[in-house]
Amino acid sequence: MKSGGGRHPGTRSGAVAALVLAALLVKPVQDFIDARAPAGEEPDLLFFNSPELVRKMALGFEPLLADLYWMRTIQYYGRRDDEGRRRESFENLHTLLDITTTLDPGLQDAYRAGSCFLSEPPPVGAGQPELALELLEKGARSHPLQWRLVYERGFVHYLYLKDYAAAGETWLEAARVPGAPEWLAGLAAMALSKGGAEEIAVSLWRRQYEEATSDAVRDNARNHLHSLQVKRDLAALRDRIERHRAATGSFPPSLGTPRDPMGTPYAYDPRSGRVDLDPASAVRCLDVP
Amino acid sequence: MNRILAIARNTFRETVRDKILYNLILFALVMIGSSLALGQLTLGNEDKVILDLGLGAISVFGLLIAIFIGIGLVYKELEKRTVYALLAKPVRRYELVLGKYLGLLWTLGVNLAVMTAGLALALGYTGRAPAGAYWRLLPAVGLIFLSLALATALALLFSTFSTPALAALFTFFLWVIGHFNADLRTFGELSGSPAVEALGRALYYVIPNFGNFNLIDGRGVLQTAGYARPIDPWAVAGAGAYALLFIAFLLALSVIIFARRDFK
Repeated sequence: MKSGGGRHPGTRSGAVAALVLAALLVKPVQDFIDARAPAGEEPDLLFFNSPELVRKMALGFEPLLADLYWMRTIQYYGRRDDEGRRRESFENLHTLLDITTTLDPGLQDAYRAGSCFLSEPPPVGAGQPELALELLEKGARSHPLQWRLVYERGFVHYLYLKDYAAAGETWLEAARVPGAPEWLAGLAAMALSKGGAEEIAVSLWRRQYEEATSDAVRDNARNHLHSLQVKRDLAALRDRIERHRAATGSFPPSLGTPRDPMGTPYAYDPRSGRVDLDPASAVRCLDVP
Repeated sequence: MNRILAIARNTFRETVRDKILYNLILFALVMIGSSLALGQLTLGNEDKVILDLGLGAISVFGLLIAIFIGIGLVYKELEKRTVYALLAKPVRRYELVLGKYLGLLWTLGVNLAVMTAGLALALGYTGRAPAGAYWRLLPAVGLIFLSLALATALALLFSTFSTPALAALFTFFLWVIGHFNADLRTFGELSGSPAVEALGRALYYVIPNFGNFNLIDGRGVLQTAGYARPIDPWAVAGAGAYALLFIAFLLALSVIIFARRDFK
């Protein structure tokens, strides 16, 4: 004993052994607890669902809290595909977006991407285009000089609510915002004439694909463009098969190698005359008008 | 004045010896780490997230330093009885209080400068913030400094007559309530009772209004098309004047209480 402080030669080695043992045991114990946790879908709970209450509780950290809520919204929306934890609805999606935009009304991505998340029909989105319109109107009140938010509203009217007159009127409203591009007036005119619905849809999705500031929105636009292309291709191929059968009494033995937008050949069965998207195709086909 | 500065210098040295400055390294690492991680989690606005997180962290870390050092400034001298040695010298009590306060402000200033540099580094790492954003950080951090100076004055006031634990609680609760001043006034107005309305209005002015210092956040600093929230120099000047007045009042009160204390 060097000094009278109770030092013992075995103390240090004992402490090191305890330290190493404890460190090694943490993982198995945690894994044991996790393994016993009830499996299945996570409860879709939101403890604070009043945007004003959350804003009051932010104590001056509203912008930071808005960022955190926005990230939470993205995770909430993005985790829908988790195996075994697939949500059947996005019950809290609008509330999360409402809280985010109340905490920071300047967060324009939340309005734009959020309206897309809300509008898309299930299982891709919440299938709540009315709430998407509400969100975009809230955004337009905070940003009266942002034509894009008004344009997005027309987008929801046109593609999700199929209300072409409202879409045309909304795009006319967007065209009147200072700094709005000239093509908006043309788009409004086309919608109001109710002609060329598919052409407008392609034009809208292409513009959104080109101008998207987020990957989620861009991917969604690309999926819609691909789906529209597949729909057109399949209609043309089926028409061709039908004409061949009418002329020869049999299905064509081959269609050549027509490919979908991701490069996979369409699956054709010459015995039944059925043509469809190959199950192995990378195209994520959506229900398009 | 020289005596006040000497006490301030010693207070600064004392706080540095408390290893408070080590939190800065941790802060810088957290900032840079979060800039990488959060960039993956958010959808657009990575630079705004870094700014909001950075300004929020500067504010929280600063508040912790202000409270936990501020509450012990006077109490420690009394507890260790070093105050006898100090007051035996030609040092007046008010000089001791003011010197302690200035010393802690010095520590806070150094802390904030290093944390701001860490934030600027993290912002530079993304390479997306506009060049002007770095200069626009200064008024934002300046306002945080003012709010911390006010919190420090509160902590110092409580430390002149209370124990550290109670002083920390009082300061923290006043900081929280100080974000609800406008609600207290509105509550009074909505009550319909003239007495409650007068009380609400009185509390609005009596309780330090920390909401005055939340004028600039990530939106004000970035000033991109989506976040066009210009900085109003008069509002910043108003917040500065408010802080100075309140701090002067709190320090005067601290000096009066400390001067009346009996150390026997």
